[in-house]
Amino acid sequence: MSSAAIPASSVPSHPGSLRANWRVFWYGGQLSYSALFNWARPSIYIPTLLGAPTFQILFFAALGSYATGMDPAFFAIGNSVQVCAMSGIYGMTMAVANERWFGTLPALMASPANRAALFGGRFIPFIVNGFLISTYGFALSWVLLGVRFDVATLGAMVLAMIATAFSCSAIGAVQGGLSLRLRDGLFGANLLVFLFLLLCGVNIPLEALPPWMQAISQVLPFTHGLAAVRAAIDGAPFSAVSGLIATEFLIGVVYAVAAFFLFRWMERGAYRNATLDVR
Amino acid sequence: MARAWTSVMADIHHVTHSWLFTMKLFMRSEFFILTAGVQPVIFATIAFFLFSIGGDAAGEQTLLFAALGTGMMGVWSTTLFGGGGAIAWQRWERTLELLVSAPRRYDLTLLGQTLATASFGFYSMVATLVWGVVLFGMPLSANFPLMLPLALLAAVLGMGVMAMLLATTFVLYRHANALSNLLEYPIWIATGMIVPLAVLPGWLGPISWVLVPTWGMAAIRDAAIGAEPPWLAIVMCLVLSVAYYLIARRMLVYVIDKARRDATLNLA
Repeated sequence: MSSAAIPASSVPSHPGSLRANWRVFWYGGQLSYSALFNWARPSIYIPTLLGAPTFQILFFAALGSYATGMDPAFFAIGNSVQVCAMSGIYGMTMAVANERWFGTLPALMASPANRAALFGGRFIPFIVNGFLISTYGFALSWVLLGVRFDVATLGAMVLAMIATAFSCSAIGAVQGGLSLRLRDGLFGANLLVFLFLLLCGVNIPLEALPPWMQAISQVLPFTHGLAAVRAAIDGAPFSAVSGLIATEFLIGVVYAVAAFFLFRWMERGAYRNATLDVR
Repeated sequence: MARAWTSVMADIHHVTHSWLFTMKLFMRSEFFILTAGVQPVIFATIAFFLFSIGGDAAGEQTLLFAALGTGMMGVWSTTLFGGGGAIAWQRWERTLELLVSAPRRYDLTLLGQTLATASFGFYSMVATLVWGVVLFGMPLSANFPLMLPLALLAAVLGMGVMAMLLATTFVLYRHANALSNLLEYPIWIATGMIVPLAVLPGWLGPISWVLVPTWGMAAIRDAAIGAEPPWLAIVMCLVLSVAYYLIARRMLVYVIDKARRDATLNLA
């Protein structure tokens, strides 16, 4: 991935202006992806974000169909959606936490940039990336594991995938905020990715889980988005899955807002305790 | 004769100290606690639920089959990340030059470290077995209890030496962690850890025969729930361990020589 080229402007914009905020949102987001996402270069991107999902999908398709006797397509669909966590969770964690590890956090905090624009811009590359990884997963599942799509409901499926990539990135941002204080931020990120495999209907049908696990799954990303994707693949029209997509999106908004306030709270705490650059 | 014996004892002492030091390091690493303790328990839970949906897909002792399989998956993850990153971490921590230039043999230092990654990984097996017994009421029994310690020992040795091979080959690739990320699932599949090779494509068979986790898993599983004592699997573990060690040592000499020649020993 090449770094984002930020066009020079002949008219300097006021830090609080809409134009400045847009630049922080759009170009700042791209720059954070290029600079802070450790896996952006092809030599890491290909094995980690394409290779690992390939084998994850094949592994669970083999395990699931052997253990349950169910169609491998069920597991292929679940894991094709879940692999966007590679970008959403790990990526967002790095996009926030690496500011501290790379020593750029004090400069960022000292800048007058609008915090909402600064924070929100970081989502875009990881949502796009997550969506692309899931699309790759579905292409693989179509070729190797017999997953078939209904062209009429492809739009609803794509929308559900985007909503899921967003909610996944949002919980990744919460993890990123926490990582500003933790010694090893990727611990929580890894834990989340594994819990999604267990709790969100990726590999185990929700009705097979105990009630308390089902209750947790309702407030996690993936559960509703994945249900919408499964329904769309089965031919459900947009009107039938719109509620699930809206719920997934709403869950994402809640996590995004929580992540923003967590970031602000961490920022104020770091100023107060002089721990902005403490590693 | 006495001198040779003293030398052997000194080497064993060296490997033991390296093993112990690395074990202490891992016990303080959140990443390895997650890999060896938490991740296998989550995968075991997924497997328990899946097998409970399917009934007795793996026979009467399905839960034990799943617990051992997911435990061994954790052993592999720990071995892969610990072994694959062993030399790279020494570079980042700036200890590689000191270790290589020390009068002690570096291959023995590395062997101690990689044996520790495999030993630490066996927490996974303990974790998944305890998890299965406590939460899923899994009956714990072994068909060949006396063979079990021998099978475990052969598996630890095999995985440890495999970790050494990973350490010496991954270091040639600048992004060793990317290779580790890539190779976790394929080995879970290709060695039949939780899905028997018999139900997978036939071409995976010959690949699995040269992978020590295949035989380590077979040795432990056959000692616990097999019909025959796992002699073949134990012998294969030992044979492959010797082969891996010889290749790893040759690779190590090549890597260290190249790094010394190019003055890149400590370039992360």
